[in-house]
Amino acid sequence: MLEYSLQVRGVSKRYDGIDALTDVDLAARPGDVHGLLGPNGAGKTTLLRVVLGLVRPDAGTVRLLGADLDAGSALPDAVAGFVDTPAFYPYLSGRANLALLDRLDGQDRRDRPQRVDAELERTGLASHATLAVGGYSAGMRQRLGLASVLLRRPRLLLLDEPTSGIDAAGARDVRAIVRQLAGDGAAVVFSSHDLDTVEQVCSTISVIDRGRVIFSGSIGALRAIAPDDCHVLRTSDDGRAVRIAGSAGGVRVMPGKADSLVVCADEGALDRYVIALGCGGVAVRHLERRARSLESLLLELTGVPSAHPVPSPAPGSVPDPSLAGA
Amino acid sequence: MTVRGVAAVAGVECSKLLAQLKLRLLLAVCAAAPFGFAVVVLIQTSLPTDTLFGRAVKDSGLAVSLVILGFAALWGLPVVSSIAGGDLFSAEDRYNTWKSVLTRSRTRMEIVTGKLVAALGVSFLAVLVLALSSFAAGILLIGAQPIVGLSGVLLSAPDASVRIGLAWLSVVPPVLALTAVAIVVSIVTRSSAAGVGLPVLAALAMQLLALIDGPELPRRLLITSAFGAWHGLLADPPFYGPLFDAMLVSAGYAAVALFLAYRTLRRREIGG
Repeated sequence: MLEYSLQVRGVSKRYDGIDALTDVDLAARPGDVHGLLGPNGAGKTTLLRVVLGLVRPDAGTVRLLGADLDAGSALPDAVAGFVDTPAFYPYLSGRANLALLDRLDGQDRRDRPQRVDAELERTGLASHATLAVGGYSAGMRQRLGLASVLLRRPRLLLLDEPTSGIDAAGARDVRAIVRQLAGDGAAVVFSSHDLDTVEQVCSTISVIDRGRVIFSGSIGALRAIAPDDCHVLRTSDDGRAVRIAGSAGGVRVMPGKADSLVVCADEGALDRYVIALGCGGVAVRHLERRARSLESLLLELTGVPSAHPVPSPAPGSVPDPSLAGA
Repeated sequence: MTVRGVAAVAGVECSKLLAQLKLRLLLAVCAAAPFGFAVVVLIQTSLPTDTLFGRAVKDSGLAVSLVILGFAALWGLPVVSSIAGGDLFSAEDRYNTWKSVLTRSRTRMEIVTGKLVAALGVSFLAVLVLALSSFAAGILLIGAQPIVGLSGVLLSAPDASVRIGLAWLSVVPPVLALTAVAIVVSIVTRSSAAGVGLPVLAALAMQLLALIDGPELPRRLLITSAFGAWHGLLADPPFYGPLFDAMLVSAGYAAVALFLAYRTLRRREIGG
């Protein structure tokens, strides 16, 4: 049995003088659900394009299910994925689009209708199967994209923002499908801004920032290296509270949810900040320590990388999900 | 690259093409237009005398096919070639579907070759439909009388029919070559408008160039000259030199165009 379903080693890609990817390593084992996280433009989609053979890397190698990916070669049968919003022929129905892609894969045509209908059913599109894709919503296209990759019965699945544009029920379905595939032994790698989904389904993650992998490991390992606690703060005047934070040492304040602020600081700095708020005429109405969310951790990693250095994979090595980040 | 892979791609492309209104319309026009022409010939008193075999259209239905062939060689066949080849690749850019196609179990070579086979097949089909329809229209509406050939010798109906069949066959190589040109234009420009429009404009420009006095060789290298090579088949005795020239010129255009097509698509990166 393969140790790694996906191995990316030292991949670099440059566009118009800009480093889109720099010496990127990535690995996923059978049964892994690996999340790719990072801000917009970090290089997540470019990395998936390289892995899917759509873009040729300037340096580095990609191994899919143990086979090297060569320029112009076909994607191995059990590898599937999509990048950006999946695209289809708008003048054909969802069912016809899937049938064409299945035919392109060279699958047995005798049970094609059943296979296509099964995936339409699985992704919640059965009732829209005969509609032209030109009339599909973004969420329906996303579902159709998922159906199109599931047709390949993947053992390695690469998805770019699979829950983007999908409603809550659809996102739940996507998570269930991903879990089921991983449970059956497939490796799933997906990029997402939907941190809830990442926390719920991913066993490991890689954080990419400015084309570099700045963290690779488990979410637990990422939490362990976080330097400061964060608190939810509600005040009588958030604007002044933010200004006061600017002059207080060791405190970082970010906007939180529902008229609140998120304050990251060690205990001493937090005490001084609260006293400064009182002296500055700002009433503290609510201050609550909370478990650090992945969101605030990521902001910290990608927003102020130099203040809190985190371990990154050794150059040229494939990060071991069970060890990286530790 | 495998035959099975190319066949799978070609089958998919043919399905897509036949699902499009424009192609069904093109084939319908190819099938119906000759009958319309024959009906007009029957009801009007004047004849298209400025066209090769135009004077004979009321005397022999076989002339209908030749008049249509002459007209198609000037206008229709370049349009057929461009419609078949000018959109097949650029449509993937327009719909942003390269990423869907290239992430299946087919190599880029199989995809390019399969699409080429489909485009060339559609061009051939359109020529075949036009040839059969024009022949049938002439025979059914006017009759299969003997016809006077280009040397002034009367050709029997069976003899003329064979020659007309060969004449239609002779335009297949330049049609396929022009289809290849449309394909490469659509690949390079990633624009269906350019893929369909530029080859037609190029064909028209070549026809104008052919009218300018000058050395013979450049004129023979124009792809549009190949569309008129069939004239020798209707002479008595027939002469075949222009046909060989036409095949060579067509092969040259097709080879250059297909090389550029493969090279461009092989290097292309599918970005955002």
